[in-house]
Amino acid sequence: MTNAVLEVRNLKVAFPAPGGVIRAVEGIDLTTKKGECVALVGESGCGKSVTALSVMKLLRTPPSVSRIDELRLDGRDLTHLPERDMERIRGKDMAMIFQDAMTALNPVMTVGKQIDEVYRRHTKLSRKQARKETVKALELVGVPEARSRADSFPHELSGGMRQRVLIALAFACMPKLIIADEPTTSLDVTIQAQVLDVLKSMQRDHDVSALLITHDLSVVANMADTVYVMYSGKIVERAAVLELFTDPWHPYTEGLLASVPRLSDDKQAFVQIPDTVPHPMHKPDGCYFHPRCSHGGPRCEQHMPRLQTLQNGRQIRCWHPLHQERVT
Amino acid sequence: MTVNGNWQHASNPLLEMEGVSVNFPVKRAYPFSKRRWIQAVTDVSLKISEGETFGIVGESGCGKSTLGNAMIGMIRPTAGAVRFQGQDLYALKPKAFKEARRSMQMIFQDPFSSLNPRFSVYDIIKEPMHIRGGASEAEMKAKVLELLKLVGLDEEDLYRNPSDFSGGQRQRIGIARAIVLNPKFLICDEPVSGLDVSVHAQIMNLLMEIQESRNLTYVFISHNLAVVKNICQNVLVMYLGKVMEAGTSDALFANPQHPYTKALLSAVLDVDVERSHDRILLEGDTPSPIDPPQGCRFWQRCPFAMNGCRTIPAELVELEDGHQIACHLVSGFPPDQTAAGLDRPVSA
Repeated sequence: MTNAVLEVRNLKVAFPAPGGVIRAVEGIDLTTKKGECVALVGESGCGKSVTALSVMKLLRTPPSVSRIDELRLDGRDLTHLPERDMERIRGKDMAMIFQDAMTALNPVMTVGKQIDEVYRRHTKLSRKQARKETVKALELVGVPEARSRADSFPHELSGGMRQRVLIALAFACMPKLIIADEPTTSLDVTIQAQVLDVLKSMQRDHDVSALLITHDLSVVANMADTVYVMYSGKIVERAAVLELFTDPWHPYTEGLLASVPRLSDDKQAFVQIPDTVPHPMHKPDGCYFHPRCSHGGPRCEQHMPRLQTLQNGRQIRCWHPLHQERVT
Repeated sequence: MTVNGNWQHASNPLLEMEGVSVNFPVKRAYPFSKRRWIQAVTDVSLKISEGETFGIVGESGCGKSTLGNAMIGMIRPTAGAVRFQGQDLYALKPKAFKEARRSMQMIFQDPFSSLNPRFSVYDIIKEPMHIRGGASEAEMKAKVLELLKLVGLDEEDLYRNPSDFSGGQRQRIGIARAIVLNPKFLICDEPVSGLDVSVHAQIMNLLMEIQESRNLTYVFISHNLAVVKNICQNVLVMYLGKVMEAGTSDALFANPQHPYTKALLSAVLDVDVERSHDRILLEGDTPSPIDPPQGCRFWQRCPFAMNGCRTIPAELVELEDGHQIACHLVSGFPPDQTAAGLDRPVSA
């Protein structure tokens, strides 16, 4: 076994829907190394959150139908692990940070009690010791006056503080893997910067792997080491963060990067990708991106390209990548 | 309170606000307890000239949407005046007010809640014309079809319901509805923040095309500084209901003076992975607009706060070319106050 913390092989998820089947995730492979922050980027409906939930085995089946060839956490095979054992792993070995802290936290329980619960469930600490750890955990994520804040209810805290509580909750038992699903989307820019800083230092200092799910490329640029770009249920590109941002190979990645307005440029018009994401029930033939792609050829309309793995782990799914000569 | 009154040198502004404040009452905790007020907007003056794009920037709760609503007559200000084409909007007779309101429209943030789910696209876009009256069904239909084409939707979409459309398409419907009465003045309240990344650029480009072809004036309310920088000529930075800094977009972004503007700019995460910058991280959260801090509204989070900032409100002063800023760091304290030690850093 290599130093991979999370290994996902060939994950497929589908939802039955009136009038057809929605194939949300169509065969995804993911690997996270120890201490690495891997980002999964894509637009809404591309299957990134479903992937996160499947990794945690939190997706209800039925209604969803999911198939996975291999799911390993730090070498341990979780593929066919029963729910009872999963409960012991969730919160201890892997934990999740959700987008909306107001719905993720229990509104009728103090935040301290909610974190205590993690310790009480997964360790043999007494109530008093658990509270001590809780206060420590809250201090670690920069909650001021942690001892008294632990007795407040979620609605008494501000958005940024609530998100910090969620981070403390996830890091309580120092898991091997943290999955953060849009951790800062609902926050203001100055608060977002604070929370991302906390998340990053927690992850780096304690050498925890992270899977960051987001649609925000600027968050990716500041947090991730490796990036997977998803489009309509498939991975279209994987690269180290610097390579991806300076030299994207997939036309979709290039389009996404170009459409983000930057403070440093003086464009009058915005570069746009035409059209919208295909409906998950009516995906086009061939490459899913071809109706919106400017580089396409006749082959793109008929056949879905394979995900090719190139030197230094870079992966690309495209018939006509932007740097043809280097790929072939 | 503005020093020169008009910080933009517009001689004949389309819209002018003078010392506008908006307060909302807070529900009393007990029947006879003292009434408290949310000071959503405090003493804002501005001028918007015809054809420009005016940006309002700030974090949530800073009063930017309230200010936008006060501009088009949706919220009556507690104090101050709003003049549209020279007329005091809130002194108009109901009939004239309605007339003026027709030339001011709004595009909303959330395309899912701003369209009636039971209406067809045709009903939604026709509604403003229907209310105004004086147009036959055929005229209205022709106009709606023309607009649908303009915003990039098909003729066959006419009788479909909003639920059949994606977020980007719904926002296009919202735009068509806003321009159906040929307004002069359009408020875009975070028009793209509810949409997917790859659709942002489409909607922004559409808005700019429409502005050019119809000579519209936009007020663009956003928290995305990069977008504001690219499309706005003048920008207003707000914090807790007050103007912190204002000026032309070029001056403000090239040479930000206010600590809050600087922090806001440095907090923007950029996609330039190679460019590393020192970020000014603000501590704490925005205070509550109920009983906002005395003195400068920003002092509690300001990394450069001085003793005087706690008690003396910072007045807007003009630097050059209409670049205005409300900060004691820039304007300084009078000599007698300096002697009292007001310009020393706040001791922790």
